Amino acid sequence: MTSPISTSAVFWTIWLFVHLILALGLLGALTHQAMATAFPVRQSAGGIVTRFRAVSAPGYATAVCVLYVLVFLVGSFIYTCYRINIRIPLEQGHYFKTGGFFDFKEHVATLGLVLLPAYWYFWKNAQNPEYDNARKGVTLVLAVMVWFLFIVGHVLNNARGFGS
Amino acid sequence: MSIVTTHSATAPTTATGAALAASSKFKVFATTFSIAGPVAYCLCVYFNWPVFTYFPVTGRFYWGLQGVQSGTGPNMLWYGWTVTTILIAGALGIIAMMLPERVTKKIPLFLVWLVPILAIPYVVYSLMFWWRLAMRG
Repeated sequence: MTSPISTSAVFWTIWLFVHLILALGLLGALTHQAMATAFPVRQSAGGIVTRFRAVSAPGYATAVCVLYVLVFLVGSFIYTCYRINIRIPLEQGHYFKTGGFFDFKEHVATLGLVLLPAYWYFWKNAQNPEYDNARKGVTLVLAVMVWFLFIVGHVLNNARGFGS
Repeated sequence: MSIVTTHSATAPTTATGAALAASSKFKVFATTFSIAGPVAYCLCVYFNWPVFTYFPVTGRFYWGLQGVQSGTGPNMLWYGWTVTTILIAGALGIIAMMLPERVTKKIPLFLVWLVPILAIPYVVYSLMFWWRLAMRG
């Protein structure tokens, strides 16, 4: 017979995996797009790095927005478990930097969320050179934010996450 | 030699998506929302303006800011701050849509990426209690 605690652990672990898988999709899409924006390829070539940059970047915009919102919603849901079962033991163990960086992560997640409408609009008008600089800037800022969110989430999971 | 275009191609979109992408009103809403959002968020954190407070132990929501009381467990303000931010930025975006085009044309687009960068030092500062605790060990 499964105890309520282990059932709960499985439940949250599944959601953590869903969060991770969605985050990986977002990270891949946004990194492709950011590379294509920062270092556009003028001619096709055989190298893996060049092919990585040579994607049709506008096609990623809607997917990035949908994935960001999904990752945000699932992360918000998991956050309730974090607040009770993770943060309190972190504080008791004096892992204050880890706790501080998680709070930093939540702030960055919201700052990234509010960028999405302009990001989406600029990419859906990618043929308009008037938006080139703004599109490049917002894409790079969003990519840096998503990498930061991913790395902090990963480190926090290592500190006290799956299997702890 | 084939040229790989990364700026001229546009992805297939739905009718609603295409209409939004072509709308100058939506451009004003989107840029205003994204510029005002980080500012609104910093104000929400600074003045502590959550539209609601959530208590994860009891699973209860309360309107506005609700402090911790005995038996309630910790409170969570971030959800409330985020919703307040979306409401403020959305309201400002709608107001901006009503302004004449000669005014909205002057909104500098670089603010969309610059404002969130400028917000980062403040949010790091807002977490000072964590950093102070970390320094004390």
